[in-house]
Amino acid sequence: MMRPVLIRRERVVPATQAVAFVVGIATALVLGLILLWTSGHSPAEVYERMFDAAFMGTDSLARTLERATPLALTGLAVAVAGSMGLWNIGAEGQMMAGATIAAGVAMGADGLSGPLLIALMVVSGVAGGMVLMLGPALARSHLGVSEIITTLMLVYVAIRVVEWLETGPWKDPESFGFAVIEPVPEQASLPGLFGRAHIGTLIALGLLLVFSLAVSRTAWGYELRLAGSSPNTARYAGISLRRKVLTALLLSGGIAGLAGAVQLTGSATRLESGLSNGYGFAGIIVAALALMRPSGVVVAAFVFGAVQVGGQSIQTLGVSSAISDILQAMILFAALVAAVFFNYRIRWRGPAGRESSDDEQAEAGDDALTMEGV
Amino acid sequence: MASSGADHAVWLRGIEKQFPGVIACAGADLRVRPGTIHALLGENGAGKTTMVNVLAGVYRPDGGEVWVNGQQRFFHSPADAIAAGVGMVYQEFRLVPNLTVAENIVLGSAPGLLRTNEIEERVAELSAAYGMAADPTRPVWQLSMGERQRVEILKSLWRNASVLVMDEPTAVLTPGEAAELGATLRAMAEEGRSVIYISHKLDQVVAFCDEATVLRQGKTAATVDNLQDVDLTSLAEMMVGTSGGGYVDRPPPRDRGPEVLSLQNISALNDRGLPALADINMTVHSGEIVGIVGVSGNGQKELAEVITGLRRPAQGRVAVNGQDVTRASPGDRYGLGLAYVPEDRLGVGLAPKMSVVDNSVVRSYKSQRRGLLLVMDRCVKFCQTLVERFGVRVGRLNDPIAGLSGGNLQRLLLGRELAEQPAVLVAAQPTRGLDVQGVAAIQSHLVEQRANGVGVLLISEDLDELQALSDVLLVMYEGRVVGEYPPDVTPRTILGSAMAGNPPT
Ligand SMILES: Nc1ncnc2c1ncn2[C@@H]1O[C@H](COP(=O)(O)OP(=O)(O)OP(=O)(O)O)[C@@H](O)[C@H]1O
Ligand SMILES: [Mg+2]
Repeated sequence: MMRPVLIRRERVVPATQAVAFVVGIATALVLGLILLWTSGHSPAEVYERMFDAAFMGTDSLARTLERATPLALTGLAVAVAGSMGLWNIGAEGQMMAGATIAAGVAMGADGLSGPLLIALMVVSGVAGGMVLMLGPALARSHLGVSEIITTLMLVYVAIRVVEWLETGPWKDPESFGFAVIEPVPEQASLPGLFGRAHIGTLIALGLLLVFSLAVSRTAWGYELRLAGSSPNTARYAGISLRRKVLTALLLSGGIAGLAGAVQLTGSATRLESGLSNGYGFAGIIVAALALMRPSGVVVAAFVFGAVQVGGQSIQTLGVSSAISDILQAMILFAALVAAVFFNYRIRWRGPAGRESSDDEQAEAGDDALTMEGV
Repeated sequence: MASSGADHAVWLRGIEKQFPGVIACAGADLRVRPGTIHALLGENGAGKTTMVNVLAGVYRPDGGEVWVNGQQRFFHSPADAIAAGVGMVYQEFRLVPNLTVAENIVLGSAPGLLRTNEIEERVAELSAAYGMAADPTRPVWQLSMGERQRVEILKSLWRNASVLVMDEPTAVLTPGEAAELGATLRAMAEEGRSVIYISHKLDQVVAFCDEATVLRQGKTAATVDNLQDVDLTSLAEMMVGTSGGGYVDRPPPRDRGPEVLSLQNISALNDRGLPALADINMTVHSGEIVGIVGVSGNGQKELAEVITGLRRPAQGRVAVNGQDVTRASPGDRYGLGLAYVPEDRLGVGLAPKMSVVDNSVVRSYKSQRRGLLLVMDRCVKFCQTLVERFGVRVGRLNDPIAGLSGGNLQRLLLGRELAEQPAVLVAAQPTRGLDVQGVAAIQSHLVEQRANGVGVLLISEDLDELQALSDVLLVMYEGRVVGEYPPDVTPRTILGSAMAGNPPT
């Protein structure tokens, strides 16, 4: 019987990435075609609506950017940790923590002028994310406790805290009994760009640029790369692995916290338990799609944002939210699979090493993944 | 398909393989008869590893044919080669440290639902049959290099390989272990299996092997049908094209300078938490080479790590240039003039996935800064200087360093360590796995450093090297220094019994 084997590419050719990506998305759209047909919708109409909603006209583009912005920030947060081989699964929670601290500051300092208050909220958002990450980061760097579990657990803590604030201490007295927190002060909303887009997008782009330069062009980034790729060599060079793990995780938490503050000041009216809206978890997908590279995060966040906007828009055509979710998931899944083919190629192998013809290169064996085994 | 490859266990014909910027194989041939041990010889970078990687299915050749046991093969992956009966023991072992010996051996070829103790039993039988002591239940991380190699060989035997490829197998072995390996390989050959044996240690090649192929710059330069007919010098000549010298001449004795490295009452534990060093006292002066003699595994690795700050001593004091560095980080010690060429080049000294440039600035990246920025031009220039000064053969400087051959890795590593003009150099097995010219190049660098007033601590398993280069020899046995000898007047027998723990008094 023939079975598929994944073989690591000797070299990653940039063109294959684009091709794999396009083929992946196209495959998903074809599968979506079948899904839409069988559920009684016109695929052409649905796809056209998705495309229009995400890209056509400034309002659509603005909506996509509005969505892409928190995704880019959480994606970057996950990628920062990922560059050290660490997994920040809890960007969702750190985003909440950042928004919470920012909201608290806004309540206390609502006399300040707009720019000053916003700056203060953004800084406290970063601090909030870092505070929530502090425990997992220290546990990881000093005790070797897996950050995957700890960061994830704190997501639920952060969301519950906001729920408690909504019903208790921070409940808006003018809310006619609804459990909501008072809106952030008028002057604390981020200046808009066009449509619903706001300058949070520029903040995210700037941060991505700074981070990618920092990684490739500074001594600090060099240490981070060295520690991420060869911990023993980093130790040999006198780099403290503990400190690198700690900074990477805190930075990751801080960026996720920033995403919370940007979301609060840019798109939301008040702090609420639904503010993070899954952006933190989606950031994991964005970072994975981006292969942990900042430049990739930009593209992946934009595509992801567009898929979300498009996916929601088709509900007005009567497509159920379940179908819309499946469609979105298929597109992202296809893109993720395509990402695998950036680094691996597939080959069919028959029994007992009989060859199928294939003119590409074979590569190191420990890198070959047998699908059967995985 | 009728063929002239039919009577050979292995026939690699006109193999061509090019890497970005380097031609590794340029039409090389290799024929191995069944039941023989075949030496594959050549300088560093001659293409030996690339050749056997083609045979093992790791690389697909750009040109040429691969025949195994009379059949032409087109391997797409190592799994194909294994299925065709080719077993490979790599220069760097590929075992899973946390799994046991038995688990490692059956990994990837698990025969359905065997119970663990059944597997362990069968592994024990196999190791007994070939005279290789190996406890199947021990985790691999606890094993010495020699023991790990046995596991790799057993792994190939478990898969019933008819051709076993060994890339520089004795580079990591003690002399005793090497002799045992020779016996194991002979036993395999007598069963009709073939062995391809890559090594730079020509005396062992002549002792173990039947026939040989010599590669030079990616081409087959000579074949020897019967190794008994040739002597070592003519073999070396075939490899380099000219008569390669032996060891660098003994440097004339010098007056010692001030003390640059001292250890007082050092004790330390190994990775398993067992005592590895006990009450070590030693000093290295400026302008001298102190040679550490001993069978590997007697505390040499831990000694180097304690000196360079990679291991905390349980007790005692380390000083570099008169300053107490017992609590200093490895980086701080380098700043104080302590350079280190570690034994494990790709695991510790270099970062395999990073570029040649990135690896060449591991020590000096902080001085390649302007403000916060790392100036890439300066890094590249620094790297180019190293490459030229130390004769490193490289392709593109931005490619991962893992593509360099063993000898070239070592040249770059040593060059990097010497670039900042250290006061003390700790060199662990600096010439292991290098060809005649590579050995000579590294040794003459060490001697040159000594002449410049550097204090060198040379840890080696090569007694000839130690005796030729050192001003004083310290013999280590079970974590202690059991004797101090002048290198030139001490007979081998005395050193030998000291290495075995019985220093003559
Ligand atoms: N994966 C690779 N990528 C780029 N260059 C490579 C790669 N593998 C080998 N080379 C280059 O090809 C040449 C031959 O290398 P090879 O490893 O076969 O030499 P070798 O004879 O095994 O040397 P040594 O005795 O030092 O191990 C070298 O110049 C090496 O730098
Ligand atoms: Mg080699």
